Amino acid sequence: MDEEYDAIVLGTGLKECILSGMLSVSGKKVLHIDRNKYYGGESASITPLEELFAKFNAPAPDETYGRGRDWNVDLIPKFLMANGLLVKLLIHTGVTRYLEFKSVEGSYVYKGGKISKVPVDQKEALASDLMGMFEKRRFRNFLIYVQDFQEEDSKTWKDFDPSTANMQSLYDKFGLDRNTQDFTGHALALYLDDNYLQQPAIQTIRRIKLYSDSLARYGKSPYLYPMYGLGELPQGFARLSAIYGGTYMLDKPIDEIVLGEGGKVIGVRSGNEIAKCKQVYCDPSYVPERIHKKGKVIRCICLLDHPINNTKDALSTQIIIPQKQVGRNSDIYVSLVSYTHQVAAKGWFIAMVSTTVETNDPETEIKPGLDLLGPIRQKFVSVTDYYEPTDDGSQSQIFISESYDATTHFETTCLDVLKIYKRGTGEDFDFSKVKLELGEEEQ
Amino acid sequence: MISIAMATNRSAQRPNGAPQTKVCQFKLVLLGESAVGKSSLVLRFVKGQFHEYQESTIGAAFLTQTLCLDDTTVKFEIWDTAGQERYHSLAPMYYRGAQAAIVVYDITNQDTFGRAKNWVKELQRQASPSIVIALAGNKSDLAAKRMVEFEEAQAYADENGLLFMETSAKTAMNVNDIFLAIANKLPKSEVSTGGAGTRVLNDADAPRASSCCK
Repeated sequence: MDEEYDAIVLGTGLKECILSGMLSVSGKKVLHIDRNKYYGGESASITPLEELFAKFNAPAPDETYGRGRDWNVDLIPKFLMANGLLVKLLIHTGVTRYLEFKSVEGSYVYKGGKISKVPVDQKEALASDLMGMFEKRRFRNFLIYVQDFQEEDSKTWKDFDPSTANMQSLYDKFGLDRNTQDFTGHALALYLDDNYLQQPAIQTIRRIKLYSDSLARYGKSPYLYPMYGLGELPQGFARLSAIYGGTYMLDKPIDEIVLGEGGKVIGVRSGNEIAKCKQVYCDPSYVPERIHKKGKVIRCICLLDHPINNTKDALSTQIIIPQKQVGRNSDIYVSLVSYTHQVAAKGWFIAMVSTTVETNDPETEIKPGLDLLGPIRQKFVSVTDYYEPTDDGSQSQIFISESYDATTHFETTCLDVLKIYKRGTGEDFDFSKVKLELGEEEQ
Repeated sequence: MISIAMATNRSAQRPNGAPQTKVCQFKLVLLGESAVGKSSLVLRFVKGQFHEYQESTIGAAFLTQTLCLDDTTVKFEIWDTAGQERYHSLAPMYYRGAQAAIVVYDITNQDTFGRAKNWVKELQRQASPSIVIALAGNKSDLAAKRMVEFEEAQAYADENGLLFMETSAKTAMNVNDIFLAIANKLPKSEVSTGGAGTRVLNDADAPRASSCCK
């Protein structure tokens, strides 16, 4: 490792692996290190199952759980929006070639103690049990407005300027009631809380469009999930980086980030070895003195031997519990994947209940989510701090990613990556730099 | 426009209306120490080229090459280590779903043979139990500097149920043969679908029917 690099990347979480890939593709000489023996850091999928039980100090799983190696359990639950940024990154970089996906079967929203399918088109809106008859018509009109809306064509705005007027005023324009606002903002636009109501309506319109465009891709829901778990994603981007010359070292402790004049980074030390570099990109765990706590996220992994009630026995699903339904400020998310994704032994399901922590008793906070699951065979709870960097790295040339938030998809993850790339290189990522040498028949 | 393509074996309908041939696609991974000639073997097999000073692998997601057997077209999707073997940082993804592997050593370097044995163990631990493994003693054109005896490697291969050949990417000796031997040994009947998921691809990337065996 005693060489000089353009950039050293610390940690192999998804964000760091995407950054490493982008930097290598852009011709930078990259050294990528993880202190762990495995890829993925926080975004790893844990295998075998014994490893997961040991991680949470639980007694080893009995034989009913099947073969331990058939399990790949995510620590952070997320889905990919089929038309979202991560899918674009996967396609443009060719990393999609290493992965296989399944469409998530259903998307549900919680109202008054029970769950209903999220209505996304006019037909579903009229059939939905979430609204009364007159409200259904108003919601239908709202959906048609969003569908026909074109940012470039102000005629489609219908005497409403969404870049200045806020979302609340758009809801009011269509006369939508609080309940409808709730599932629109939280289950379609996927906002974590209600701050969006006071923001320009255009942001929410874009999000609803992303949802419906994603849905239009593959049908049943707007979400995709990779076979063998989310841990495949960082591995795929790490391979991209390696293919473009990136060097990989796992199981390598980092003892010091070495600073030079003006507090600018000049290298990274592991034991007696120092690798020189111009920049460092890392996750918060490598730089405890350069981050501050922004909040806490609770995540509860639940192993089930049955699907979730009232989801038509879906083998994968997402349920959103909008904040107001349970008297909170942030939504509770339930995600379910199963043996059909090669993440559990035959007949098993993995549910994850997560939210942003608001009280001193986070486990009680997620109870409405746990109650939807039915009997839970095994539960693993983790409460983790959510960090963000204290500065933008321009002085130190140390660029730090934010911790993974409670959102159920990768949009904020990708935005953070693109932002860090721009801060580090001064330019937007140029996808045309990716020139994969394709197989014969694909040239 | 994004489409979704099934990542399964597919039967190709010939454009000229000839009878359908079964097309089987297999993932083949290369393993072995740095500089034993892994990339050179693939380059020789796929493109018929050899470069004396082959640079470390850059820019290839994976290469594909098609072989025609009597009634079957075998399409190899060949994965190179991209240098990730150097510090033992190959990801589990690399082994995932691999139906064949070529473990390469350099006949002029005893250490690389020892390491090849470790790679075989690693495959037996990480990969599918039904994986077809071939051992390739590369650089057979440098027999004058031989450090690994043919008989020793053959005996090891026999004990472990591996295919074995000495190869030379430089002279092309046994290069096609070793891939052909693997193709013959792979089961062609079962429809192996990997994870049974789908690949998200651009339309332009969607695999098209191969036109070998013209």
